[in-house]
Amino acid sequence: MIGKESAAGRTVRILFLSLWLAVTVFPLYWITVTSFKSPGTIFSFPISYWPTHFSLENYTGLFREAKFGVYLTNSLIIATAAGTVATAISMLSAYVLARFEFRSKGAVLMAALVTQMIPSFIALGPLYMMMTELNLVDSRFGLTLVYIAVCIPFCTVMLRGFFENIPDALEEAAMIDGCSRLGALFRVLLPVMRPGIVAAFIFNFVNCWNELFLSVTLMNGDARKTVPTALNGFISSFNIDWGSMSAAAVLTIAPTMILFAFASRHIVQGLTSGAVKG
Amino acid sequence: MKEPVAFPSARPEGEPGGTPTPTTCSTDAAVGARPDVGPDAGTGLRAGAGGRGSTAASTSAPTAPRPRRPVFTGRQGLTVAAFMAPAALFVAVFIYYPMIAGSQMAFRNWNLNDLTDTSWVGLKNFREIFTDPVFGTVLSNTGIWVVGSIVPQFVIGFAIALWLRRRFRFRGLYQALIFFPWAISGFLIGILFRWMFNSEFGVVNDLLEKAGLINEPIPWLADPKTAMVAVLIANIWYGVTFFAIMILAALQSIPDEIYEAAEIDGAGKVRTLFQITIPSIRGTLSLTVLLRVIWIFNFPDLIFAMTGGGPSNETHIVTTWMITVTQQGDYGRASAIGLIVVAMLLVFSVFHLTATREKSATGGRPTTGGKRATGRNPRTRKTKGTVS
Amino acid sequence: MLSRRRTATALCLAAALVLSGCAVGGGAAADGTVTLHMVESLTNPTRTAVLKDLIGEFEKQNPKIKVDLISPPTDQADQKIQQMLQSGSGIDTLEVRDITSGPWSTNHWLYDMSKDLKGWAGWDELTDNTVKYAKDAKGRTYYIPYGFYGLSLFYRSDLVTGAGFKNPPASWDDLLEQATAIQNPGKRQYGYAFRGGTNANSNAVAVIEAYVADKIDRDNGFKLTDGRTIFSAPEALTALKTYFALFKKASPPSSVAWGYPEMVEGFSNGSTAFLLQDPEVIATLGESKAISQQQWTTAPLLTGPSGKAVQPVATAGWGIAAGSKHKAEATKLVKFLAEGDAATTFDKKNSLVPILKSAADDTYYKTGAWASYVKMTENPDAYITVTQPRDSSWWTEWIQKSDADIQKVLLGKMTPEQLLTGWDSYWTAKWKSQ
Repeated sequence: MIGKESAAGRTVRILFLSLWLAVTVFPLYWITVTSFKSPGTIFSFPISYWPTHFSLENYTGLFREAKFGVYLTNSLIIATAAGTVATAISMLSAYVLARFEFRSKGAVLMAALVTQMIPSFIALGPLYMMMTELNLVDSRFGLTLVYIAVCIPFCTVMLRGFFENIPDALEEAAMIDGCSRLGALFRVLLPVMRPGIVAAFIFNFVNCWNELFLSVTLMNGDARKTVPTALNGFISSFNIDWGSMSAAAVLTIAPTMILFAFASRHIVQGLTSGAVKG
Repeated sequence: MKEPVAFPSARPEGEPGGTPTPTTCSTDAAVGARPDVGPDAGTGLRAGAGGRGSTAASTSAPTAPRPRRPVFTGRQGLTVAAFMAPAALFVAVFIYYPMIAGSQMAFRNWNLNDLTDTSWVGLKNFREIFTDPVFGTVLSNTGIWVVGSIVPQFVIGFAIALWLRRRFRFRGLYQALIFFPWAISGFLIGILFRWMFNSEFGVVNDLLEKAGLINEPIPWLADPKTAMVAVLIANIWYGVTFFAIMILAALQSIPDEIYEAAEIDGAGKVRTLFQITIPSIRGTLSLTVLLRVIWIFNFPDLIFAMTGGGPSNETHIVTTWMITVTQQGDYGRASAIGLIVVAMLLVFSVFHLTATREKSATGGRPTTGGKRATGRNPRTRKTKGTVS
Repeated sequence: MLSRRRTATALCLAAALVLSGCAVGGGAAADGTVTLHMVESLTNPTRTAVLKDLIGEFEKQNPKIKVDLISPPTDQADQKIQQMLQSGSGIDTLEVRDITSGPWSTNHWLYDMSKDLKGWAGWDELTDNTVKYAKDAKGRTYYIPYGFYGLSLFYRSDLVTGAGFKNPPASWDDLLEQATAIQNPGKRQYGYAFRGGTNANSNAVAVIEAYVADKIDRDNGFKLTDGRTIFSAPEALTALKTYFALFKKASPPSSVAWGYPEMVEGFSNGSTAFLLQDPEVIATLGESKAISQQQWTTAPLLTGPSGKAVQPVATAGWGIAAGSKHKAEATKLVKFLAEGDAATTFDKKNSLVPILKSAADDTYYKTGAWASYVKMTENPDAYITVTQPRDSSWWTEWIQKSDADIQKVLLGKMTPEQLLTGWDSYWTAKWKSQ
């Protein structure tokens, strides 16, 4: 389909792809191996590329001493809720941006782009004040609301590209049949765009899952901490707890990896028709 | 054309997600279907406005004689407003309000070490930044950081995407594995790489020594030159994924017929790449590069975790510099730096969008546009077939 | 499809609403129970655990008070606390450091406890140093220290003996000699865990201070008795030359970028023989598997040519937010942490120089790694305690500037002379502008 490949080309391709795989996976391998080393042997020299004996101490410690299960649950709830709602809201805005022409459209898109340019530090102070007023500090609901807002701009741009790739005929036919616009959007377009929606959701989820600064600022209690905050907690001013940290990192990466493994074809497929048409 | 076609909407929608929409569609509601629904009509716009990756420009695009019809007619305006409302509300309340409220610090004497006097100082903070001797180094570092990250990310990402188009066993698994850096936070990557690049106990030097490439450990993060190389390596490692995903996705949207035609014409690999592949996905490339530039610019996490801007300020970029100013408590000056960042990125975006638009308007576009148009409908189906 | 989507969205929102639970409430509950919000900033997991135990004890003694401990990651803690203080709510008791007390009290964010602490029996139990740091220049109490940080020399007794030395180094010159003898890069054995990264300035200043010990102003460690800066003294250059020679001849090359974690790691994994650090490292090293307890111990801080050393004191403690609505209860908590078993436990478990006089009789502090601290306390004329100008509003700016300057010298981009001239004019200008 993409033309024939010469033997040399094939060798180059395989070499390159293997090399890159090694480069990419090595840090992951390294952190995983570290997480299974017993605390005393992590920094033994010469460096060992394989733990002399497997130790689960770092993992058990996470759940015994730190409430890592609670943090994982918090992150999961917040990232899922924010990812879902942000995707739903962005679908609506992306839809009109793709299907209608109106004068302020350029400004709207630029406004979305500008949100990506603002260093979050500027907004942090006033945001905290506002959330205090609204009584939304130290609340999972409050953080979810903020995350939704953070996700919307890019998600909208992404989904807009997707809508533009779907022929109008689809929903118009539905509307002739008497569907309302929203009805057409949900009944007809939704199934067609599923890959794009999955891709958008995953993007949102990963962003919320990894977000640190807003979470640190807006959450207080140990029971409401998210994973990145906990992960950062292993770095104290005078030491980095490498064992716990790498174990926590593995647990943090795992859900997104699983999500990726299941959805990587969706992501590519979704983006095929979306995202990039901006 | 997806222009402001008079488009009597079925009914004014209430708040999406709020008011219940009837699950059955009442027939009396549907009035006007759009007159120009053919696939070609639809594509015309996409190639015109969407395909070029223009955003702000779309309203004032000088190309493609598009029929302009009265903007905003009653119901349609209402629909647009209703659909935009939730997103606009969220972004306005949680992003724009705090940002604008926070921006005023840039024009005030706002120092956490003494907040008893936060009077208006006009552009003093900005003047201080521009006259700071560090500013020059920081600017050139930012340039090195952005260009030195983007170019390799782009090239490697492009190569991976090209080569991943061909099916092979375990391709799905391969994709999942090489995409994973994208799923880790920049901060974590920074910490991880800081230890891997540690000169005495780090794994990078150990591997290089075992491979016989070096005899003495390289003090990576202790020397400004190698420190910059180390942070760039980490960032390249991190960012290739995004390019690979985006480009792969775009590549798969090029209909195979084009390649077949090229092959029949006897076009070589290189020619095919530059005359078909790249022009076809120019929109994608342009937007991806733009987004990446913005994100990399605004990505202090990695450098901060790895070098803290050191040694001797030699790896500071604008945003890490802003963090250190924040730590000094000078929020006024830090906010001013933040606004400068936004201004620089805005200028860049406008230039970028203008430049890429003109290019696609003059060269290459008509052919690609046409080809994409023909391949459009089948593509939606085909993509599914090839990828899954 | 539509209904499913909607239901999902609605469910998510509902779930979020339910899960959000109650937000920060500052007020007293119906039964009169008061909840105090307490925020720490030098967070580390071990310390948080100790603190939680102590809080549990406090709650048992005061059934009407609940304490909600907030432990943000240490890198982000200051910013978070500042935001909380600025908003004026959700924070009652907090960790105040010598560095932060100045700016925060200037901004009227801290509560002056002096009236509430009048007649408090605990005053008599505190060491003189603690009492001194508990009051600022105008006699106001913004925090009561929970312990002190002070430097001592951690060394590998086996390596020192192996290199043919009978005693650990006492002066900076000794250290240079011994560390150079031990250094053997081929075997990844290095002499000194040099601090070139974050907070590099603290050790450089300690050397300079040791060399000008005879004429230092004890109330301002950056000043000489004649009012000029310590950086202007000719001894300062000699000090720095010795110190930078230590880097060239006896330290790992990458230590240009070493901060606290790398230094401690470098010592505890056995690759360096000497480490100048705070006592909290004692606890960390106790857990090291690479070197055993028999292989290392501490020696007093290194002296200058006059045989004297200057101990730069750093401290932190607990204070109360000005916006707190429960100052009486918060004061109770601060008192609780500063007296009796609570104070002793906190200092021992975190390896801090203790705040209570009673520690002098405690055998715990007379043995092993702590012995050198006792020796320093018992010889105040040789080991002079000096207050650093850490409460200056430009302190963070100074740290960033001086750290960068030291790295410039290490990288050969600046001479020690230029560095000293720069530092001298920096502080002279700052003091003049005050």
